[in-house]
Amino acid sequence: MKDSCFSVSKFLEKYFDQEVTEKERLLVEGHLQDCPACRDALKSMEELRTLIKVPVEEAVQKEDFPWVWQKIEREIRLQEKLTWWQSLRSWLDVSPLFKKKVWIPAVATLVVLLFITAQIIFKNTPSYPDASVVEYLDSPTYNVMVYQLEKPGVTVIWLFEGPEREQPTT
Amino acid sequence: MNHEETEMISRCQQGDQEALKEIFDKYHKKVYRIAYGVVRQREEALDIVQEVFIKLFRSIKNFKGRSNFYTYLYRMVMNTSIDHTRKTGKHFISSLDDEGSFEPSDEVEKGPERILLQKELEERVKWAMEKLPAEQRAALIFRDVEGLSYQEMAEAMGCSIGTVMSRLHYGRKRIQELLKDYVGLRNQSRGASTALKGRNPPKL
Repeated sequence: MKDSCFSVSKFLEKYFDQEVTEKERLLVEGHLQDCPACRDALKSMEELRTLIKVPVEEAVQKEDFPWVWQKIEREIRLQEKLTWWQSLRSWLDVSPLFKKKVWIPAVATLVVLLFITAQIIFKNTPSYPDASVVEYLDSPTYNVMVYQLEKPGVTVIWLFEGPEREQPTT
Repeated sequence: MNHEETEMISRCQQGDQEALKEIFDKYHKKVYRIAYGVVRQREEALDIVQEVFIKLFRSIKNFKGRSNFYTYLYRMVMNTSIDHTRKTGKHFISSLDDEGSFEPSDEVEKGPERILLQKELEERVKWAMEKLPAEQRAALIFRDVEGLSYQEMAEAMGCSIGTVMSRLHYGRKRIQELLKDYVGLRNQSRGASTALKGRNPPKL
């Protein structure tokens, strides 16, 4: 390799890739005429390119692509049928507010508020304000239900004989 | 980007599958070439083609048109292909043992030496490509297979032209070392039957 090879070598690869300026091209081509070593280096790069490229081109030629498109189309159609939960999640994903993870304390606050509200509501509005079932008995003749009213000393006892004959007894 | 392509992309961004089909028709071979160049395995390359176009349909809204569309697409292909090779590991080096020496299969031994040499070359190139870091491999595929310019490569790889040149240089240097006994044999493999005789498998 000649001394000038060093100065040309930095352009050799660019020359091979056709990325040199006109001035660089003339410099390299002038050098290549007298330098078998650089010509060999260039030839090696070309052979290497062939080694990498040719099997790829051969593979492309052999391939039949229409069925690949059919698979893509089918897959897209399948993905469009999202469940409501996936839709909700995708909405959450795109919302900038939720992206910032603000939703974690927000949801926690909401849960606490719901819990407190539920406590207040259920405490003040019982399902049956005046009485609660104390006991229920089954027997062949009567079915008996005993209520204990909140007023002290008042008990309501229901005797069930049949749907039309049931009467309260105090 | 010409007007026709801009319009096609815009329709695809609005969810038009016909527009995606047009993009597929225009680019599928290029996508396959890059994918096959990286993974060197037919079924896997086809899976990558499929995955890339589905991803593209989902994410094309993010394409703002600041770069060329094909470099945007090529970057997606390259990333997907590299992800695949990382997931699947060294599955395709079926005929190379741990030391990298070639063991011809029975089927190959029965055939003419020319076929043996071609098969050996293909296996060897697969092996050598896998030895390269992903970025160098990508650079070689973009330049030597797809013929992209340095500028286009820089866009597709998200780096400077200097980095592209460096990746190409070191990639070529490394692969030349790995394939030093094979460079120049591809053409011979089509005619010369004595190429393998007396040649020892390279110790790498």
